[in-house]
Amino acid sequence: MKKILVVLLVLVMASTMVFAAGAKEAPKAEIDLQSASWDQIVEAAKAEGQVTFYAWYFPDYFKEAAADFEAKYGIKVNLIIGDQTANFNKAISEKDSKVGTIDVMIVGGQWVKNTMDLDLFYGPIKDIIPDADKLAPSLWKVQEGVMTNGYLAPFHRNQTGILYDPQRVSNPPQTWAELEAWIDANPKKFGFNDPSKGGSGQSFVHTMIKETTGGLEKYVGDSEVVPSKVANWDKAWDWAYSRKDKLTFTVSNNDSIIRLNDGEIAMTFGWDDNVKDMMNKGNLFSRAKMYIPTMGAAGGGDTMGVLKNSPHKAAALVFIAHITSKEQQQKKYEMLGAYPARTDIALSGTLLTEADREANALAWFPAPYKTLMIAEFVKNVLMK
Amino acid sequence: MDKTMAMPLYLIKKRRIKRFYLMITLFFVIIQLLWVGIPIFMAIMWSLVNPDDAWSYPNLIPPSFSLEQWRYVFNYTNIARALKTSYSIAPLAVILSFLLSLPTSYVLGRKDIPGKKVFMLVVLLPMIMPGMVVALFLSRVFNLMGLSQTFLGLVLAHTLMSMPYMIRVMTTSFASIPQDVIDAAENLGAGTFVKIKDIFLPMIRPGLIAGMIFAFTTSIEEFNLTFIIGTPTFETIPTILYSFMGYNFIRTNASVVSLLMMTPNIIMLFIVERFLKSDYLSASLGKM
Repeated sequence: MKKILVVLLVLVMASTMVFAAGAKEAPKAEIDLQSASWDQIVEAAKAEGQVTFYAWYFPDYFKEAAADFEAKYGIKVNLIIGDQTANFNKAISEKDSKVGTIDVMIVGGQWVKNTMDLDLFYGPIKDIIPDADKLAPSLWKVQEGVMTNGYLAPFHRNQTGILYDPQRVSNPPQTWAELEAWIDANPKKFGFNDPSKGGSGQSFVHTMIKETTGGLEKYVGDSEVVPSKVANWDKAWDWAYSRKDKLTFTVSNNDSIIRLNDGEIAMTFGWDDNVKDMMNKGNLFSRAKMYIPTMGAAGGGDTMGVLKNSPHKAAALVFIAHITSKEQQQKKYEMLGAYPARTDIALSGTLLTEADREANALAWFPAPYKTLMIAEFVKNVLMK
Repeated sequence: MDKTMAMPLYLIKKRRIKRFYLMITLFFVIIQLLWVGIPIFMAIMWSLVNPDDAWSYPNLIPPSFSLEQWRYVFNYTNIARALKTSYSIAPLAVILSFLLSLPTSYVLGRKDIPGKKVFMLVVLLPMIMPGMVVALFLSRVFNLMGLSQTFLGLVLAHTLMSMPYMIRVMTTSFASIPQDVIDAAENLGAGTFVKIKDIFLPMIRPGLIAGMIFAFTTSIEEFNLTFIIGTPTFETIPTILYSFMGYNFIRTNASVVSLLMMTPNIIMLFIVERFLKSDYLSASLGKM
């Protein structure tokens, strides 16, 4: 018996040693990335030899984009498609390490405030990335109400709007009064997600505040919440609370789409890129229609940031340049139908029209208001 | 003549009771089958949805079937690498947690030591605390020890998460061994080695196998700690599954990965079930 135990222990230790592969310290970029020429950065990236990229969606596109990158630059891409929350928890857990394991990651609206507050990213990178001026200019400055000041590169634009089943909704609402009347006439058939769990629900509550408390103009430029400006937000909470039995609250952006597909609801707020992705994968019927109502809905986009403790910063920057290149942006659009961040690409066949976006897309109010909006909605509507 | 008329009343009653038990058993079997079967059936259906022909209300089954969702997962995720890593770590984590739990369980099950209850509670802590909280704190320790991004680190992490189950089940097994069997063996001259080989190990076998199943499935399903300290160097099946299950929940892809994760576990359970049939402990107590 003793022999068996010893043999087992030796086997365990030996096999772990065989498999053990420590994270190798990458050669550091010896150049100053802020002042180096692009060619020097590409050279440094090639010397680094690899880049680790964390995302949580579009595995199909990113896998192909990574293969294109490897073929073009000879730099290996470690592509990890994780979970949004887990990705950020990992990045935050490594924040104090001198050298982290993530080079570049997608930053979604849900996490942009936390990560900017935690000073997680290297930058600004706007003056380093070639063609930066071709990428949605507003998204270089502000992402979902948070000032990002050139630290996060836009690679993808998206827009919220009303998604509905045309077989069950014949005359979709355009104004707040029409939506109100539709909800009253069709209890539980309109849904949106808990705003603490996803941006489409936030967008609905954002529009609700706009419509019930007198517009969004008064918040422009504020860097913190002005109490007098939010004093009448109880009107918005009263509106939602008094209709609590007629509204369906879902748990995520995708859950809203799933419930529409399952027939539980007939209309919801959704992100255009999510909707397209779910349609492409057979998770939502192709007859679904989407539009931005005249009362408005917020839009935005996702960005990519280079981690401050990234072991391969030059390669990370070259990877961002690759993803934001015209060729890759076009490819992403063709594969997924998702709106590119570049403004110099002509598009056709999008779920939402360019005219819709120009006329009805809203800009988010500043981040402190958005944080307050989420907390107050949960407190005054969901928990009440 | 009607046979039941001639049958004594107690026999009719007995038959009715038998029929009643049969109905109850049948009812629970059906419920159990539905309980386990429906989610698996739904996962299979969703994994076969044709992306060009969505499965939506009011269709009860997908309008057309395709293997495209399977192709998608194999083409666009690192599932092959993840399967290899998961099934390399799990057996090692099971062996290691068995070796480490054996002495602990023996002491907790058979010896009276001060603070035994507190120790039992401490052992269960990794099970009680939320996974991500444990992962975030432990990742610091693993970083300091240079174990992050290593296979050894992952095996140790999985061992740590498996041990509470192993210790808990084996402690109960050790505690159930009757002292008179050990005394009898000692009277017949059995030494420590003989006692371990011929009494303890055979008698704790059902518990050991149950603990191994728990440890194995815990390892296969462990996400938080693996994601924090293992990726990007290592990916396991749950790290892929969570990309389709979390914020970006996509039923079709999630179903494929769930089935991939579930199938080997079910096969293993059936194999283990065979070992569980010979129960030394029951035999020793004359209850077999």
